[in-house]
Amino acid sequence: MNNRLKVLRAERNWSQQDLAVRLGVSRQSVNAIETGKYDPSLPLAFRIADLFELSIETIFLRG
Amino acid sequence: MLTRNPAYQMYNRRIAVASVLYVAAVFAASSVLHHRAPVSPLAIGVALVPGIAVSLMIYAMARLMLELDDEYLRLLEVRKALIATALTLAACSAWGLLEIFTAVPALPVFWVFPLWCVGLFAGALFNRLTLGKGGGL
Repeated sequence: MNNRLKVLRAERNWSQQDLAVRLGVSRQSVNAIETGKYDPSLPLAFRIADLFELSIETIFLRG
Repeated sequence: MLTRNPAYQMYNRRIAVASVLYVAAVFAASSVLHHRAPVSPLAIGVALVPGIAVSLMIYAMARLMLELDDEYLRLLEVRKALIATALTLAACSAWGLLEIFTAVPALPVFWVFPLWCVGLFAGALFNRLTLGKGGGL
Protein backbone atom coordinates (compact mmCIF):
# COMPACT_ATOMS: atom_id res chain seq x y z
CA MET A 1 0.00 0.00 0.00
CA ASN A 2 1.35 3.44 -0.92
CA ASN A 3 1.49 6.13 1.71
CA ARG A 4 2.62 9.73 2.27
CA LEU A 5 4.43 9.07 5.51
CA LYS A 6 7.88 10.02 4.22
CA VAL A 7 6.61 13.32 2.81
CA LEU A 8 4.68 14.17 5.96
CA ARG A 9 7.71 13.35 8.07
CA ALA A 10 10.01 15.43 5.88
CA GLU A 11 7.64 18.41 6.10
CA ARG A 12 8.17 18.38 9.85
CA ASN A 13 11.94 17.79 9.62
CA TRP A 14 11.61 14.60 11.61
CA SER A 15 14.02 11.74 11.21
CA GLN A 16 12.69 8.18 11.09
CA GLN A 17 13.89 7.83 14.66
CA ASP A 18 12.00 10.98 15.70
CA LEU A 19 8.79 9.62 14.20
CA ALA A 20 9.39 6.21 15.71
CA VAL A 21 9.73 7.72 19.20
CA ARG A 22 6.56 9.76 18.73
CA LEU A 23 4.66 6.65 17.64
CA GLY A 24 6.23 4.37 20.23
CA VAL A 25 7.53 1.92 17.63
CA SER A 26 10.95 0.93 16.30
CA ARG A 27 12.76 2.83 13.56
CA GLN A 28 12.59 -0.35 11.46
CA SER A 29 8.80 -0.17 11.67
CA VAL A 30 8.77 3.38 10.34
CA ASN A 31 11.20 2.42 7.57
CA ALA A 32 9.15 -0.64 6.59
CA ILE A 33 5.90 1.37 6.49
CA GLU A 34 7.47 4.24 4.50
CA THR A 35 8.90 1.88 1.90
CA GLY A 36 5.60 0.02 1.57
CA LYS A 37 7.06 -3.25 2.82
CA TYR A 38 4.73 -3.37 5.77
CA ASP A 39 1.14 -2.21 6.16
CA PRO A 40 0.46 -1.15 9.76
CA SER A 41 -2.38 -2.54 11.81
CA LEU A 42 -5.49 -0.39 12.14
CA PRO A 43 -4.58 0.77 15.69
CA LEU A 44 -1.12 1.88 14.51
CA ALA A 45 -2.61 3.53 11.43
CA PHE A 46 -4.91 5.52 13.75
CA ARG A 47 -1.91 6.53 15.90
CA ILE A 48 -0.13 7.76 12.77
CA ALA A 49 -3.23 9.64 11.63
CA ASP A 50 -3.68 11.22 15.07
CA LEU A 51 -0.04 12.29 15.18
CA PHE A 52 -0.27 14.07 11.83
CA GLU A 53 -3.83 15.26 12.54
CA LEU A 54 -5.00 13.78 9.26
CA SER A 55 -7.40 11.02 8.29
CA ILE A 56 -6.05 7.54 7.59
CA GLU A 57 -7.12 7.68 3.95
CA THR A 58 -5.20 10.94 3.51
CA ILE A 59 -2.00 9.21 4.57
CA PHE A 60 -2.52 5.70 3.16
CA LEU A 61 -3.48 5.53 -0.49
CA ARG A 62 -5.29 2.77 -2.34
CA GLY A 63 -3.45 0.83 -5.02
CA MET B 1 18.43 -7.23 15.94
CA LEU B 2 18.83 -3.57 15.20
CA THR B 3 16.48 -2.26 17.84
CA ARG B 4 17.07 -2.42 21.58
CA ASN B 5 13.50 -3.19 22.47
CA PRO B 6 13.29 -4.15 26.18
CA ALA B 7 11.78 -7.49 25.12
CA TYR B 8 15.06 -8.36 23.36
CA GLN B 9 17.03 -7.53 26.47
CA MET B 10 14.86 -9.87 28.53
CA TYR B 11 15.17 -12.51 25.83
CA ASN B 12 18.97 -12.27 25.79
CA ARG B 13 19.05 -12.49 29.58
CA ARG B 14 16.81 -15.58 29.64
CA ILE B 15 18.76 -17.29 26.85
CA ALA B 16 22.05 -16.56 28.63
CA VAL B 17 20.77 -18.08 31.89
CA ALA B 18 19.36 -21.11 30.05
CA SER B 19 22.62 -21.58 28.14
CA VAL B 20 24.71 -21.54 31.31
CA LEU B 21 22.28 -24.01 32.90
CA TYR B 22 22.46 -26.20 29.79
CA VAL B 23 26.26 -26.37 29.73
CA ALA B 24 26.37 -27.04 33.47
CA ALA B 25 23.68 -29.73 33.22
CA VAL B 26 25.36 -31.47 30.27
CA PHE B 27 28.70 -31.36 32.09
CA ALA B 28 27.11 -32.73 35.27
CA ALA B 29 25.21 -35.46 33.41
CA SER B 30 28.26 -36.56 31.45
CA SER B 31 30.33 -36.78 34.63
CA VAL B 32 27.66 -38.86 36.41
CA LEU B 33 26.54 -41.03 33.49
CA HIS B 34 28.61 -42.87 30.93
CA HIS B 35 27.48 -42.91 27.32
CA ARG B 36 24.45 -45.19 26.94
CA ALA B 37 24.15 -45.93 30.66
CA PRO B 38 21.67 -48.65 31.64
CA VAL B 39 18.11 -47.35 31.90
CA SER B 40 17.13 -46.55 35.47
CA PRO B 41 15.01 -43.85 37.09
CA LEU B 42 18.18 -42.07 38.29
CA ALA B 43 19.85 -42.23 34.87
CA ILE B 44 16.69 -40.97 33.16
CA GLY B 45 16.36 -38.13 35.67
CA VAL B 46 19.97 -37.01 35.30
CA ALA B 47 19.87 -37.30 31.50
CA LEU B 48 16.73 -35.16 31.32
CA VAL B 49 18.10 -32.26 33.40
CA PRO B 50 19.65 -30.55 30.33
CA GLY B 51 16.19 -30.82 28.78
CA ILE B 52 14.93 -28.41 31.43
CA ALA B 53 17.44 -25.85 30.17
CA VAL B 54 16.30 -26.46 26.58
CA SER B 55 12.71 -25.97 27.75
CA LEU B 56 13.78 -22.64 29.29
CA MET B 57 15.20 -21.59 25.92
CA ILE B 58 11.90 -22.43 24.22
CA TYR B 59 10.08 -20.53 26.97
CA ALA B 60 12.35 -17.52 26.36
CA MET B 61 11.43 -17.59 22.67
CA ALA B 62 7.73 -17.79 23.47
CA ARG B 63 8.02 -14.90 25.94
CA LEU B 64 9.80 -12.82 23.29
CA MET B 65 6.81 -13.20 20.98
CA LEU B 66 4.44 -12.22 23.79
CA GLU B 67 6.47 -9.31 25.16
CA LEU B 68 7.41 -7.64 21.88
CA ASP B 69 5.07 -4.64 21.80
CA ASP B 70 6.23 -3.54 18.35
CA GLU B 71 4.03 -5.24 15.77
CA TYR B 72 6.60 -5.06 12.96
CA LEU B 73 9.41 -6.56 15.07
CA ARG B 74 6.96 -9.27 16.19
CA LEU B 75 6.19 -9.98 12.55
CA LEU B 76 9.90 -10.42 11.85
CA GLU B 77 10.19 -12.92 14.72
CA VAL B 78 7.10 -14.84 13.60
CA ARG B 79 8.47 -15.06 10.06
CA LYS B 80 11.78 -16.36 11.40
CA ALA B 81 9.98 -19.01 13.46
CA LEU B 82 7.85 -20.07 10.49
CA ILE B 83 10.90 -20.44 8.26
CA ALA B 84 12.72 -22.37 10.99
CA THR B 85 9.73 -24.68 11.51
CA ALA B 86 9.30 -25.28 7.79
CA LEU B 87 12.98 -26.09 7.28
CA THR B 88 13.11 -28.36 10.34
CA LEU B 89 9.98 -30.28 9.36
CA ALA B 90 11.17 -30.65 5.78
CA ALA B 91 14.69 -31.72 6.74
CA CYS B 92 13.55 -34.19 9.43
CA SER B 93 10.85 -35.68 7.19
CA ALA B 94 13.26 -36.07 4.28
CA TRP B 95 15.90 -37.63 6.52
CA GLY B 96 13.27 -39.91 8.04
CA LEU B 97 12.39 -41.20 4.58
CA LEU B 98 16.08 -41.77 3.88
CA GLU B 99 16.33 -43.73 7.14
CA ILE B 100 13.38 -45.92 6.11
CA PHE B 101 14.48 -46.67 2.59
CA THR B 102 18.27 -46.46 2.73
CA ALA B 103 21.12 -47.24 5.10
CA VAL B 104 21.84 -43.66 6.17
CA PRO B 105 22.62 -43.28 9.89
CA ALA B 106 19.72 -42.41 12.17
CA LEU B 107 19.45 -38.72 13.08
CA PRO B 108 19.31 -38.40 16.88
CA VAL B 109 16.19 -36.41 17.77
CA PHE B 110 18.43 -34.39 20.06
CA TRP B 111 19.44 -32.44 16.94
CA VAL B 112 15.91 -31.27 16.11
CA PHE B 113 16.05 -28.20 18.37
CA PRO B 114 19.56 -27.09 17.28
CA LEU B 115 18.41 -27.58 13.69
CA TRP B 116 15.40 -25.35 14.38
CA CYS B 117 17.73 -22.69 15.84
CA VAL B 118 19.81 -22.80 12.64
CA GLY B 119 16.49 -22.35 10.84
CA LEU B 120 15.96 -19.13 12.82
CA PHE B 121 19.14 -17.78 11.30
CA ALA B 122 17.90 -18.82 7.86
CA GLY B 123 14.67 -16.97 8.69
CA ALA B 124 16.64 -13.86 9.62
CA LEU B 125 18.46 -14.08 6.27
CA PHE B 126 15.09 -14.46 4.52
CA ASN B 127 13.81 -11.35 6.30
CA ARG B 128 16.90 -9.42 5.27
CA LEU B 129 16.65 -10.55 1.65
CA THR B 130 12.94 -9.83 1.29
CA LEU B 131 12.59 -6.74 3.50
CA GLY B 132 16.00 -5.10 3.12
CA LYS B 133 17.64 -3.29 6.04
CA GLY B 134 14.33 -3.15 7.88
CA GLY B 135 14.36 -6.94 7.92
CA GLY B 136 16.93 -7.05 10.70
CA LEU B 137 20.33 -8.80 11.01
